Amino acid sequence: MAIRSDQGIVLRSYPFGEADRVVVLLSPNRGKIRTVAKGVRRTKSRFGGRLEPFTHVDLVVYEGRQLDTITQATVIETFARVRLDLERVMAAGTMVEAVDAVAQENENSHRLFLLLLRGLKALDHGGGGRDLVSAFLLKLAGVVGVAPALSRCAACGREEGLDRFSFASGGAVCVNCRPEGAVRLRSGLTSYLASLAAADLSFLPPSDPALSGEAMGVARRFVEYHLDRRLGSLAVLDG
Amino acid sequence: MFEGPLQRLIDELARLPGVGRKSAQRMAFHLLGVEREDALRLSSAIVDMRDQLRICSRCYNVTASEECTICRDSKRDQTVVCVVERAQDIAVIERTQEFRGRYHVLGGAISPIGGIGPSQLRIAELGKRIEDEGIMELILATNPTVEGDVTAMYIAREMKPRGVRVTRLAMGLPVGGDLDYADELTLGRALAGRSEL
Ligand SMILES: [Zn+2]
Ligand SMILES: [Zn+2]
Repeated sequence: MAIRSDQGIVLRSYPFGEADRVVVLLSPNRGKIRTVAKGVRRTKSRFGGRLEPFTHVDLVVYEGRQLDTITQATVIETFARVRLDLERVMAAGTMVEAVDAVAQENENSHRLFLLLLRGLKALDHGGGGRDLVSAFLLKLAGVVGVAPALSRCAACGREEGLDRFSFASGGAVCVNCRPEGAVRLRSGLTSYLASLAAADLSFLPPSDPALSGEAMGVARRFVEYHLDRRLGSLAVLDG
Repeated sequence: MFEGPLQRLIDELARLPGVGRKSAQRMAFHLLGVEREDALRLSSAIVDMRDQLRICSRCYNVTASEECTICRDSKRDQTVVCVVERAQDIAVIERTQEFRGRYHVLGGAISPIGGIGPSQLRIAELGKRIEDEGIMELILATNPTVEGDVTAMYIAREMKPRGVRVTRLAMGLPVGGDLDYADELTLGRALAGRSEL
């Protein structure tokens, strides 16, 4: 058994045994990794807050038969400000939940890792709100190969009259195609979604309060449809 | 693997939190050697606890009567309530002998990742207590985890408009520890929550 260096962003962790936790991280090189942090639940653990969700850490792990054990963790970035605001921490929760849902073990995950890193950075620098979550989810769909068509009809390729959206067809559709189950979008929403999908997460286009709620609804439903899984964290504060 | 009754006990013990196969086997073989009356004392302690204990109707602590001994103690300050995630956290705070108010057990914490929402916790019940009991201060003693942070922020947002003072346990360095070993998140919070001398 060997010692290995790695880095990752902590997605979540759960109690394991008496005082340990299994820490689930996204590593750029190895995808989703599960590691044991011994004694981390004790107040005086040498890990302290280094393995809290959203933290970007350098790791030294001891490879085990089933689970690897963390022997050393050094913080690269804590994203501490994410945790000081309810809306931001819920947004970060949605990001890691979605990443957790698409990440695979033993798979190069550079693009997914960079997306999560940029998402958390944007939140940490004071960004937030629905547009950031929408943009993140649309980009995530792109990283896993199901980017929604937003500038041309998903069915025929036409570039005009894209005022409907089909989750099954994979994006916006024109008035001629209108596949079954397509929903009508508010005027301007398709191009609003397109601008979010193309934006830098730290420099989002100006938010339009009339569109951002519906945009997030579409982005969320789209990702949920293609992951075949509900994003529970988005609904946590709704009741 | 072992004779029926022995294996049955090992299986039961292994279902306890923090007990692995090996410890379950060790405990079972230990119990195999004890007197019959000692075994009965243990088994009846488990059954009695199960039968006689219930949840305090006021604070959701564990109790043998309608209300727990802390809620029934008239010498305790009824205007200050310490909010904890689990009933076992009460014992931890009681041991400090620094707190003379009452408690409120939430039954968990909001999880932005696991999808546990406020409606699954006793937060509405806390709001009702504030109205009914004239509570003036809530001390939030949720864990210093993401879940504990979210729960504290949510409770503060919901309860402050009711005119109650909301504070949270300070976060910082463990007593007896070395500054060298403190992680960035803990040290950052210790700085933010520093106190005047
Ligand atoms: Zn078309
Ligand atoms: Zn009580």
